[in-house]
Amino acid sequence: MRTGMIIGVVCLVLFGAALGMAQARKFEGVTITVFTQTPPYIAKPVMMFAPDWERLTGAKVRLITAPWGELYPKMYSSFALGQALFDIVIMPAAWLPDFAEAGFLVPLDDFIKKDPYIEWEDILPVYRERIVSWGGKIYAVPMDGDCHIFYYRKDALENPEYQAMFKAKYGYDLPVPPRTWKQVRDIAEFFHGWDWDGDGIINYGVVEPRRYAGQADWCFFSRTVGYVALPGQPGGQFFDPVTMKPRINSPGHIRALEDYVEIMKFGVPGMINMDSGEVRSVFASGVAAMAIDWGDIGVISEVGPESKVKGKVGYAILPGSYEVWDFAKGQWVTLPEPNQAGYLAFGGWVAAIDRNSRNIAAAYDFISYLSRPDNSYISVTTAETGFNPYRASHFERLAGWIGFGFSAEAAEAYLKAIRETIGHPNVQPDLRIPGAAKYFEALDAQLALVVAGQKTPKEALDEVARIWEQITNEYGRDAQLRAYRLSLGLPVR
Amino acid sequence: MIGKAARRQGRLFLSPTILLLLAFTLFPFLFTLALVFGEARFVGGGLQIGFVGTRNWARLFQDERFWNALMVTLRIVAVAVSLEYLLGLGLALLVDRKVRGQNFFRVLFIVPMLLTPIAVGYMWRMIFDVGRGPITGVLQRLGVSPVGWLTDTSVAIYSIVITDIWQWTPFMFLILYAALQAIPPDYIEAARVDGASGWQVFRRVILPLLAPASIAAILLRMVECFKIVDTIYIMTGGGPGRSTESMTLFAYAIGFRAFDLDYGATIAFSLFLTLLVAAMVFVNMTRRLRDVRME
Repeated sequence: MRTGMIIGVVCLVLFGAALGMAQARKFEGVTITVFTQTPPYIAKPVMMFAPDWERLTGAKVRLITAPWGELYPKMYSSFALGQALFDIVIMPAAWLPDFAEAGFLVPLDDFIKKDPYIEWEDILPVYRERIVSWGGKIYAVPMDGDCHIFYYRKDALENPEYQAMFKAKYGYDLPVPPRTWKQVRDIAEFFHGWDWDGDGIINYGVVEPRRYAGQADWCFFSRTVGYVALPGQPGGQFFDPVTMKPRINSPGHIRALEDYVEIMKFGVPGMINMDSGEVRSVFASGVAAMAIDWGDIGVISEVGPESKVKGKVGYAILPGSYEVWDFAKGQWVTLPEPNQAGYLAFGGWVAAIDRNSRNIAAAYDFISYLSRPDNSYISVTTAETGFNPYRASHFERLAGWIGFGFSAEAAEAYLKAIRETIGHPNVQPDLRIPGAAKYFEALDAQLALVVAGQKTPKEALDEVARIWEQITNEYGRDAQLRAYRLSLGLPVR
Repeated sequence: MIGKAARRQGRLFLSPTILLLLAFTLFPFLFTLALVFGEARFVGGGLQIGFVGTRNWARLFQDERFWNALMVTLRIVAVAVSLEYLLGLGLALLVDRKVRGQNFFRVLFIVPMLLTPIAVGYMWRMIFDVGRGPITGVLQRLGVSPVGWLTDTSVAIYSIVITDIWQWTPFMFLILYAALQAIPPDYIEAARVDGASGWQVFRRVILPLLAPASIAAILLRMVECFKIVDTIYIMTGGGPGRSTESMTLFAYAIGFRAFDLDYGATIAFSLFLTLLVAAMVFVNMTRRLRDVRME
């Protein structure tokens, strides 16, 4: 009797386990294809988590990658030709409007509502409400939180001796961190061309990308937001949200470009030829006092094995300006406090599903697995993933960051600067309309001429405005206006 | 007489080659041609190419950036290929003599050509770095102020040319050296017996005999140099300003950064036409020179 009971219980347990296993492995035999950038950056988290997910679900993940320049055409042709070569694309957020507007992507609202693991509310509002949605529907899940922040060397700017010297020269206290671009200019000048960290090597004021196709255009917009994004005035910094006329050659943009050029006098030699990648290693090598970048400089400086600035870096929201261009009044207005609006440069990487995919449920399940709080926390605190924090929980737990190599103090300061930027009430999104790449390319080509001294800021931005008008007309003004308003969350007529 | 069956069989055997040729040469060419005269739009269901006549060409000829890229490319080709030829010829003549270590030099001279242009680009970018490069270090020790090899708009193009010369002179050397080796020694002996000086032997015997190899080498190098992209992309990205933006880099930027496929294809096609014209002019010139000499 007793033996029989034991056998019965064992059978029940085994049956239950088998049943549970069968239920858990719900995508047995399914293969999903993920398409993104060549590893390590961006593709690495897929490689990290695919084996676990495969074990849990019985499905297989096939990762296909391509260099940056081939991503857009390959994604677009796969979507447009209805081939569904890729079930999941992990792409820059700026491309979402192109794909969503054309009806290429699966709306994910229902999946997200039913998903007990994704913890959607944990994702910061600016990402879950603006970056991944289009026309009131969610088309992607954030994988990465991108914004530009400001970096400075604490050992230089906080040095009392240098502070006294600075005050004697400029007549005001050295602000730490600087709150305006004017202050940044003075600090850069002060720390330029002498060995202020005593390592026997000459130091310089700033390092920022200025190379054509080297992500310098995002650096330019990081400077414009403070001059043109007047609090309480919706409309963004790119176009007039009523007429779709370019705002790019406004006096605010021109002043920002003048600053952008002037600061080069206090830059690391050869800065005109540097892209973001080089800027990061140059800052970590310890020669520059200040820099602008995504979260990457923070990681490379605090965790990089060759960093000479570990523990010496300060982090802050981007500086701004007391004077802001008022588009409504057509004049400069002076604010009591500097206008330090954050800028969601690039907007981060997002994962979306092809409408023609035959494995939509499995594809969503894998995206959810990548994005759920615990896994995404590992992604943002692992080297070479290219992912930066975008969930509230990423900012709350310091253990992962300390395990990553940050000191507690550095982690707190780093995360605070990012969170202040993302959570700023006047944070400015990147350009998210069809043809965004064309608009940016036109700007980038003109910026290159300005930094080389071949055009004045006004001449260049007037030319950009002219080309932007052409692009808008080419895509259709009404369609572009609608898209632009949607991207800003403004009502569409 | 070949029978019907044999002809059919022949066609059958040829068909894979013909199909492959069509797939890899004719179809892409026709597709590019369609883009050049069309407007490409990705729409739900496929790529739509609408005919727009010569609109892309009108845009191209009005585009100041195109003319700049064309001039940059022509300058690089003219300077780099000429110097590569002269240096390659010099090296070939040197190694052709009976000198010690001839084999060693022969191998040494072709090493740069074996490297990938991307690696060469990075190497020279580091060498030319205005802040940390070895050339800057040497110049500073000599009391000379640093030169903006890659950051000065008037100097950067010559840095690209130097890099190209460094990498591709070996190509000229190889072809010319092989041609030199093929010259029968009797010709040179005969000229010497007739009292010709070293210069006269070179001018009247060696150079004419090298002409076919020289034409082939210059033409091949010219074709490659017109398409220069990788080293520029790494070293300057086309900058500073647009001072080193070649036609291929311009086409890449428009096609793959702005995703403007039809205009990008038009730029690429214009490069093809430029190259065709340049090659025809060169071949025509060399033919005329040969005719004059024969007369």
